[in-house]
Formats: sequence, C-alpha cells, structure tokens
Amino acid sequence: MQDVTLTVNGKTETRRVEGRTLLVQFLREHLGLTGTHVGCDTSQCGACTVILGGRAVKSCTILASAAAARGEVLTIEGLGDEEALSPMQEAFHRHHALQCGFCTPGMVMAAHNMVQRHEGELTEAIVRRELEGNLCRCTGYHNIVKAVLAAAEAHRAVASAPAGQD
Amino acid sequence: MTRAKTSAVRKASDSAPDIAWRWDDAPPDMDYVREALFRHIGKPVARKEDKRLLTGKGRFTDDFNLPGQTYAAMVRSPHPHARILGIDASAALAAPGVLAVLTGVDVLADGLGPIPHNPLPKTNFDMKLSAPGGGAPFIGPHLLLPADKVRHVGEAVAVVVAESAAQAMDAAELVDVDYEELDFVIDALDAASGSCPSVVWDEVPDNVFVETHFGDREATDAAFARAAHVVEASFHIDRVTGVPMEPRAALAAFDAESGKYTLYAGSGGAVRQKNELAEVLGIEPKSLRVLSFDVGGNFGTRNRTYVEFGLTLWASRRVGRPVKYTATRSEAFLTDYQGRDLHTTVALAMDAEGRFLAMRADNLSNVGARCVSLSPLSKGSGLITGSYDIPAATLRSRAVFTNTMCTQAYRSSGRPEVTYAIERLVEIAAKQIGMDPIELRRRNMIAPDRMPYRNAVGQVYDSGTYETNMDQAMALFDWDGFAARREEATARGMLLGRGLANYVESSIGSPRERAEITVLPDGRIEVVIGTQPSGQGHETSFAQVVADMLGVPVETVTIIIGDTDVVSVGGGSHSGRSMRHAGTVMAMASSELLAEARRRAAEHFDVALDRIERDGDQYRVAGTNHTVGLFELAALPSGPLAVARTNEMHTPVFPNGTAICEVEIDPELCHVEITRYATIDDVGRCINPMIVHGQTHGGIAQGVGQAMWELCVTDPDSGQPLAGSFMDYGMPRADNLPSFDAEIAEVISPTNPLGIKAGGEGGTTPALATVTLAVLDALAPLGVTDIKMPLTPNTIWRAIGEARQQEKGVME
Ligand code: FES
Ligand code: FES
Repeated sequence: MQDVTLTVNGKTETRRVEGRTLLVQFLREHLGLTGTHVGCDTSQCGACTVILGGRAVKSCTILASAAAARGEVLTIEGLGDEEALSPMQEAFHRHHALQCGFCTPGMVMAAHNMVQRHEGELTEAIVRRELEGNLCRCTGYHNIVKAVLAAAEAHRAVASAPAGQD
Repeated sequence: MTRAKTSAVRKASDSAPDIAWRWDDAPPDMDYVREALFRHIGKPVARKEDKRLLTGKGRFTDDFNLPGQTYAAMVRSPHPHARILGIDASAALAAPGVLAVLTGVDVLADGLGPIPHNPLPKTNFDMKLSAPGGGAPFIGPHLLLPADKVRHVGEAVAVVVAESAAQAMDAAELVDVDYEELDFVIDALDAASGSCPSVVWDEVPDNVFVETHFGDREATDAAFARAAHVVEASFHIDRVTGVPMEPRAALAAFDAESGKYTLYAGSGGAVRQKNELAEVLGIEPKSLRVLSFDVGGNFGTRNRTYVEFGLTLWASRRVGRPVKYTATRSEAFLTDYQGRDLHTTVALAMDAEGRFLAMRADNLSNVGARCVSLSPLSKGSGLITGSYDIPAATLRSRAVFTNTMCTQAYRSSGRPEVTYAIERLVEIAAKQIGMDPIELRRRNMIAPDRMPYRNAVGQVYDSGTYETNMDQAMALFDWDGFAARREEATARGMLLGRGLANYVESSIGSPRERAEITVLPDGRIEVVIGTQPSGQGHETSFAQVVADMLGVPVETVTIIIGDTDVVSVGGGSHSGRSMRHAGTVMAMASSELLAEARRRAAEHFDVALDRIERDGDQYRVAGTNHTVGLFELAALPSGPLAVARTNEMHTPVFPNGTAICEVEIDPELCHVEITRYATIDDVGRCINPMIVHGQTHGGIAQGVGQAMWELCVTDPDSGQPLAGSFMDYGMPRADNLPSFDAEIAEVISPTNPLGIKAGGEGGTTPALATVTLAVLDALAPLGVTDIKMPLTPNTIWRAIGEARQQEKGVME
C-alpha cells in the first residue's frame, strides 16, 4: 500500500492504495468519479480517456502512482456541468453524438483535447484518424465527427474574434 | 439431403389478410389523441438523457457500490467439451480475502433451477418452430454452473467470492478443475452431419433439435420443373458478437431480514430478468427487485439472462454480503451471447423473362451449447423471399447444438442473413441470364398495390413502396455518376465497385406492454413504462408522444423505466418493438387520461360532460371563460389523476428499404475503403428523425463491421476462440468508416394507431449484402466471382490470387 496524491479537476486528493492501482481505478473506486469508464482490458477502447498534464491519455494504461509526476488530471466531471456544458459537450448534445453514452466521456475528452491541440484547425480526415483509438458501438461515428468539427469551428470563431469582444 | 424424419409442414393460406388497426375499438377520447398528433412527434427534439451522460453523471451498473460489498470472479472452462471429474477449491479457499468458492455441485445442492430461456418466439404471427418430428424442442438446461460437463470454452464452472476484485481473480486461478476432454464440434454443418462424434446433449444424439418445413412443396416443385432458369448458392453468414461498449456487470444484495434480493444489472428489460431469476432462485418474483438504469449498448446481447446475474444473487445470500461482478472485455468476447452463424442454401426458379417463380431454402442455425433463442432462425425463416414477389417457396429450418457460446438475436436478428442470401442470389441470377441486376429486381419487387402482401411462407407485409425506395436510394447515391467515378479511380490504379441491396424485415417482439401515466399537481407528468433503452433515447421520444397527446410541453414529462419495484409489466427493448408497443399503449393511456380529465372538469364546474372543450392542457366550459388546467385538476380533492393501461398487440410490421455501398480497392495492398454509403429506410411514422438517423448510422456500422472485419474465429483443431480482445476482433472505427447519406421514407403502417414500423435495424439488415456485392463488383475485372466475409485485405488478396490461378488453369 502507498499514498498517492493527485490533483484532479483542480482538487488535490490523497488516497492510500495498492501499488497496482491504475489511474482509472483511482478515479472510479477511490475518488468516486465514475464518469470515466472501463471498456476493455487491452487499452484499445478509449472509454477511460482523461486529460493528464494537457494530453489525452487512456487512464487504464498508467498506474495512479506514476500519474502524479505527469501533471494534473482533468476528467469529464471537471469539463462542464449540467447547467453549463463545455463547448464540446454542447456540440455532442446538439448533434446527437451520443446514444448509450458509455463511450461518451472518453470521446468528449479526446475530442476536447484534439480541438485544443490543433487550435480548432480540423478536417474530417484528421478527426477520424485521431479518434481511431476511441470505440463507439452505437453511433457509427457519423454524428461524433459532425459534433467535433462543429466544436472546432466554434473554437476558431472564438479564437479569431477581436480582443475585448466577448 | 434426405433424412427419414417426418416434420410438421405449414402452408400459407391465401385468404386476404386483415391487419388494420381499428379506431372503433379504441378507448374513449382516442379521437382527441388522433387530432393531437403531431405537435412534437416528427421533430428532432434534443435528448433529455444527454446532459447526465455528457457530464459523467450516468448511472451504469458498475458505477453502483453497496456498503460491505464483495467481488466475484469466474473460473472458466479452457476446453470446448469436457467432463468435470472433480473440483478442488482448497488452495483458492486458503488464499487471502477469499470468502467462498461455489460450484455446480452446490448449485444442485441448493436446488437452483435452470434459466427459463423460453427460446421460441411466441406471438401469433411468429414462424412456429418445432423439434424434428414435431413437438417442443429440447433446449439444453442452462444451470448457473454445470455439474456434469462443460460445453464451450469460457463456460463458468465455479465462482470465487473475495474481499477485493483482485483477490477474487487471483484465487480463481487457484481453483483446480479435473477435466476429461471429449470430442468437440464447432461448425453447424459438422454437428448436423449425422455422424458427428461430439454429442453436445445426450438427449439429442444427432445435435439437431429443431427441424421444421414451411411453404408449399407441390407448388414449388412444379415451378422448378417448368422454370427456364434455376440458380443455386450456399452461404455461411458467420459468427459475430454484439460488443456493447459497457461490459456486462451485476451487483447483488440479499437482505436476510426481509428475505428480499436486489440486483443492479443493465439489461434489455428488467421485468424479464426479474421473473427469470426469481424462477432460478425458486423465490416469488416480488422478492426480487431488479434495477437497470443507464445501459451501455445492448444490440440483443443483453436481452437474455446471464448466469453471472444469478450467481451474484445466490452468492450474496451465501456470503451474507453484497456481491459485485464486472466482466472484463475478454470475458465479454468469450461469453456475451453471440450472433448470426447461419448456413443457408438457396435456389431460385425463373421464367424466360426473369420473373421469379419459386424459391427453395435450407437454413441451419448454430445456437451454440444451449438454446437461448430461436428468434434469428424464426425471423429469417419468415423473410426468405425478401422484397420480391415469389409465388411459391419451401424452406427447411433447422437448429443445431455445437460446442460454442450460445447465440442470441443480434442486431436485426435473422434478417441480415437472409437478405444477404437473397440479394447475392439475385445478382448471380442476373449474371446467369445476362440481365441488368437492377432491371431484374424491378421486374420482381412487390408492387405497392399488392399491400398488404402475404409472402410464400405466410408472413403478411403491412405496407411499403419498395421500388420507390430503390429509385430514391439510387438518386441519393448518384448511381448514374458511378461510371465517371470508376473511370477516375481506374486512372489512379484503383478498383471501384458498387453494391445495392433491397430489404424487408419484420418487427414483432414481445406482445404485451403497460403504461402508467400520473399527472402531478406540481406540473409534472410521470410515465412508467416497461421498455429498456440502451441509447435509443426513449426518455425523449416517449415524452414527445405523451406531451403531444396531453397537450403539455415536452419538458414536463418524465419517463420512468428500469426499476421493477415501479415497473410491473414490460416486454423490454428488442426487435425494434419499443416505440410501436410503448407508443401505442401510451396513446391509449393518454386517451383514457383525457377522458378522465374531462369528466373531472365537468364535475368541477358542475356542467354536462359534453359542454367541456379542451384546448391544449386547458378545459373550458363551452361559451364561457371558465377554464381549469390539467395540473389543477390533478390537485382537486378527487384523488390522483392517473391511469394504467395494458395493451397486447401481435400484428407485426415490416420496415423496408434499399442501401447502396461503394468501395475502392487497392489491388496491391488489397485494402478496401468505403467511399460512399446511401440508404433509404421506410420506418413508418418517424417520431424523432434525429434519433432514428442516429440508430440507422449505428446499424450501418454494425452491418458493415460484419462484412468487413468482425468475426468470432475459432481454431478448428483446438476449438479455442481466437478473438478475445479488440486486438483480434476487428471493429468499425472512426477512421475506417465514411459519413453516411441516410434518408427516411415514411410509409405509415396501418397496423397501429401511430403508424409506426421500426427504425435502426434497417441500417444493419442490407449492409452485409451491399458491402459484399460492392467488393465483388470491384474485383469482377480480375475474375473474382465469389468471396466470403469478412472482407479483410487477406481475404481480398486470396480471392485475387485464386482468380489468377484459375485463369491460368483455363489458359493452359
Ligand atoms: S479501458 Fe482504457 S482503453 Fe479501454
Ligand atoms: S454512444 Fe454507445 S458506445 Fe458510443
């Protein structure tokens, strides 16, 4: 057992856990943040995607104890809430980019990070390629791609708006 | 094939079918309901369920925890077929944290029963399947754990309960099972060969437990005898699995004081789970509460009861603490109920002009080690003639046991298989008689004025404009622009091909549904219903229906599902039944509620009933300004304003449509890219086009997935399943699919008051055929005439190689 301290969604938390505890287990079982999901055991589905130190990562592939050194963690719970959805969450809602919602938190985190990394400069081909590691069984990806492109466009519009005009 | 067995022969009668829904039999004020249609219906109302799912507040099974909970892990069979000689659990019991190890012997000692799967579809309109020689088929009892032998790899033989999930898994490795390996059989044709050394169940020595003949043999034989052309082909529509993204999970608790069990388990219908699990445990259904909130995909895999659900319940009583089980993805690949696996041989007789005269089909379904559902075989049997007017047909439908995981109705159960068979056969026929395949289809499609149409095996198609679907799909696809696109691709050294398939499918499903509607004085309306969504957006589309009927804003309506302490009856969600069944019973309940509201308004103002007029949710005394609102009526002292209504509806509906796929193949790398996909789906009345489109997209991806990548491969020599993770089971991904051109055709069904057929499965049904035909079209210049799914680069490479080989052989 060891103490692991992580900053998650802006809050610093310490828990005593087994050494083999994965980041996703730390989030779900020790912090009760069940929005991050587990869909596989081979790091391939992306349901567990969170943002760690500014990069989207699969939280099932990293030990909680190793995560601390990589920076702060942002999960779906820290992105926006029901009253104030983040732009990506809003785009998913408006374009019906979720059905059962199980892949959704991972999908949204990956997409959110993608728009940030590319500063909104995305094409359908890039979106499809970069979402290759996030599986969705319900939507056929059609509306997910639409939502991500719409959010990217909104991001560009905000970024290019003249300063002081908000 | 001649088998000395007598079988029940069923003939379709010719009498004109009457399938119309009658407004006259409807409850009072149904006219109101009819008029109230359709303010919200037909609009893409954004989903109510989204916000919680988008913010991490979803309530999936594994998200629940109970104080003091323990964890279960399964010990699973490594053999496809073996006798269990003994199980030594002593090392596991001595491992840290272990509380119990339970086996099949304990199951018998505690008197637990088999899961009452009830595999035969049971509405009046389902194709009736029987044992060879007639009678009820033997289905193979499904105990929670077997005591005699294991019948497939992955079958649970023991359950370990421990303080932590990791300890349970560690200890499961220590359980020592003594097996005597037996002959095994994987493929259905081998199992049904009549000389198979593996006998899955002693009760069925030749493994074939269903054999039924349908259709008119004399008429069919006569038509074949006078036919100008006959074509025949055999196909195997292989085994795939549903892969809902949420692995199945269960959390069970037993309260010794009240004797009541509680189970959190996502499924396709909590009521069914409750009734079946109560029977397994030998308790009253009311002693078991099943909760199923957010469900991470279903596609059929979750509609039947899993042993792990019963095991956690039983274990929670044995250890006196809650027990949790969450399947790993590897376990899901091994032991989720799987889909398809149909061998079919079809033959078509035509006259000199290419008119279809008769069809013969022979279908063999691989149900796996036990029979969980015969729905795929039954559904497919009813639709073997597809969208075409084929006056006579015969069909032999058989089902067989093998040493594989059980199959179940998987997305669009049974229909993609037969659609694949007939559409491929039509193309072969066109080639043989030298006619354009589109023209051949046109010549034989069922005309709208033949509706309702009784097909050669007795199914009555309710409505549809099949040829119009095809024309619209071709326009959407830009069929005529194909030649130019192909030329452009050829110039780049690429092979372009297109494939078209027409389909008709049936939505039957469990016939009973119940709705309870309560108007609350605080301005809310609660609707309790027995369907179970797993992404289909019922909380939104059902609210739209009720809001329309009662004349209230859609935000005021809350749909309550998934808790058997609240929901008493309900057929669950499968076979595209939900909107039609729930929509109808909600409409009936709404009309009763409106009648009651009017009665109360009259009483309130002390006037005759016929003086009350309704405007939205306001009730007015005619010619006055005296009005009272629906929610005010609910606050009156006359008690709660609520109705409950149960409805039974058997008449099936037949969604239909056309899909077209275009592929580009790199002849060097043998990589297939889907460049275009267009589809027209007649879903009947569409309640929420946004949701229906979403269902179609997902459906297409699943059909394309089977055509292109998905396969539950089993090694024939060892009987070992080889697809156990996302590394070896090819999935549709964002980067291997295109965006789709999907449009909806709304030909209103006469069979139910809302005119609904069903949406979503239509994406899947034709996709196996469209993709395969497109690939064959692209490879035709290289001499390839036949190919087997999945159409991986390896398959393409081999097909091209074999065609070259043959060409050489011919030249030599
Ligand atoms: S759970 Fe992390 S990739 Fe699947
Ligand atoms: S919405 Fe169900 S898996 Fe993506």
